[in-house]
Amino acid sequence: MSTIEINNLTVDYVEKNKNFTALKDVSFKVNSGEFVSVIGFSGCGKSTLLSVLEGINPPTDGSVLIDGKPVVGTGTDRGVVFQHYSLFPWLTARKNVAFGIKQTQKTLSKAERMELADSFLDKVGLTKFKNKYPSQLSGGMQQRVAIARALAMDTEILLMDEPFGAIDAVNRTALQELLLELWEESRKTVVFVTHDIDEAILLSDRIVMMTASPGRVYKEINVPFSRPRNRVQLVQTQEYTTFRNSIISYFYNDITGRIGGEEVVL
Amino acid sequence: MTAKKRFLRAVNFLFIVLIAVQFLPNSELKEDNGIYVIWFSLIAEAAVILVSLISKKEQGLNLFSDIISFLYALLILWTIASAKSDILDKALFPPPGDVFRQFIEDISKILLNIGSSLAIIVQGYLLALVIEIPLGLFLGYSVRLGNAATYISKFLGSIPPIVYIPYGIALLPTFRSVSVFVIFLASFWPVLSGTMSGVLNVDKRVIDSARVLNVGKFSMLFSVILPASLSEIFVGCNQGLSVSFILLTSAEMIGANSGMGYYVKNYSDFGDYTRTIVGLLVIGIVVVIISFLFNKLQRFFLRYKR
Ligand SMILES: Nc1ncnc2c1ncn2[C@@H]1O[C@H](COP(=O)(O)OP(=O)(O)O)[C@@H](O)[C@H]1O
Ligand SMILES: [Mg+2]
Repeated sequence: MSTIEINNLTVDYVEKNKNFTALKDVSFKVNSGEFVSVIGFSGCGKSTLLSVLEGINPPTDGSVLIDGKPVVGTGTDRGVVFQHYSLFPWLTARKNVAFGIKQTQKTLSKAERMELADSFLDKVGLTKFKNKYPSQLSGGMQQRVAIARALAMDTEILLMDEPFGAIDAVNRTALQELLLELWEESRKTVVFVTHDIDEAILLSDRIVMMTASPGRVYKEINVPFSRPRNRVQLVQTQEYTTFRNSIISYFYNDITGRIGGEEVVL
Repeated sequence: MTAKKRFLRAVNFLFIVLIAVQFLPNSELKEDNGIYVIWFSLIAEAAVILVSLISKKEQGLNLFSDIISFLYALLILWTIASAKSDILDKALFPPPGDVFRQFIEDISKILLNIGSSLAIIVQGYLLALVIEIPLGLFLGYSVRLGNAATYISKFLGSIPPIVYIPYGIALLPTFRSVSVFVIFLASFWPVLSGTMSGVLNVDKRVIDSARVLNVGKFSMLFSVILPASLSEIFVGCNQGLSVSFILLTSAEMIGANSGMGYYVKNYSDFGDYTRTIVGLLVIGIVVVIISFLFNKLQRFFLRYKR
């Protein structure tokens, strides 16, 4: 299994010869097999952070180490699920998954790849839809396929950028349960970006809170609830409410400290 | 669909009118070829009935019967104007029966000429596709070259390809090779710029998805960028094909001794307007058939879009 170490990571974007600092001195560690959520307001640099982990953007300063080695570009040791367009629209669900498998398991024959793809589509409950194109699937189904692909690629690390952000509440709940169940099976190292506090609490071992302009780590908190977690029971407990409120108040304090007491909704 | 919707259509009514019109007295005592129009309309009507019987979607049936209705209406007007009255000059606009008859008599000659034209188009066009699509993918993807190439192809694309003909004639040995060369150049710019603009418009998120899957350069170009920009590539290919047709028939009218352009020009020079019209109609039909097939191909390749 893999560890991720982010040390004093700074990322600048250059636009029209002007520097914009999206991330400033971000440091935290993700242990092997740990599920870490990153939460923060829109625009605070969560996607930027993930893009560096993915290898799409290089650090301007500082470093990202995976198992002690600096990340150089994209790699097949990391599976990724985006909010949109993780899948290729011109491939069927099955071929999308098989495409991912081909990238990591080059020795498999085409038939073996297809078989593996089918078994993962089965895990996410899409056997009936395997020959559909993404445009023929609902948003939730598309994300199931993307998850199936990321898992089928059998990478040690899973990076997810608001994967359920565009999904309606009912389907989002189902997807969270599915992800939790599949993660319990495989115990991959996960970095999960979200702006949904309940989602972060339900899924993660630890929550990294970020603040904006420039994006920095504001606080890290361990989630004190034992696994396996039952959503319905969990949210009814006093501990849950207290914990959830403490996270909200951290954000609230930070925001009021910055912009002077105006009401802000997370 | 009800039987009424299937069979009680304007097209069937026009069919009866068309047949009836053939039996009106001719304006001039001359051999009457109306029987050829009758035969044609019988075949067309058989097709209409067949389609009415088997088609499942009303939309498809509507399209087909509208097209045939248009043909019938045209033939009715043409018969009246040319055979049954003196509205049109009979030398310039021979009656439809004469044209059908000539078409049947000349069929083997016509097929040879179509073959000759198509062979040139296919060679020049395919050559352009095979070179242009990979080049466009490459240029579009490498941002720096792409910027320069956009302007260069705008400049070169604005030159009407017909002006290359003198150079083609000076440089190349046969009319055939000149034509292939000109078709190649004519399809060159639409296909190249269609491909490049397709590549430039590929959603960055699709490229990022491919990058995180760690695809190699070759896969990136041909398994990701190519399918992602296919709609616009098709637009370019479609334009290229139309330009190719216009250009080839024009070129054939200038210097060829075969091909559909030559057929039209040759007989109009001799004042044989029956054959001239046959030639015009055949060119139109060939273009329609090819664009129909092209459309089918496009639909097949872009079937993933809803
Ligand atoms: N490619 C880019 N060029 C310039 N600025 C960018 C770019 N991508 C993101 N930004 C800016 O960086 C900041 C952080 O963006 P992002 O990482 O997408 O935030 P989040 O995912 O938390 O919403 C935002 O202010 C955004 O406008
Ligand atoms: Mg984001």
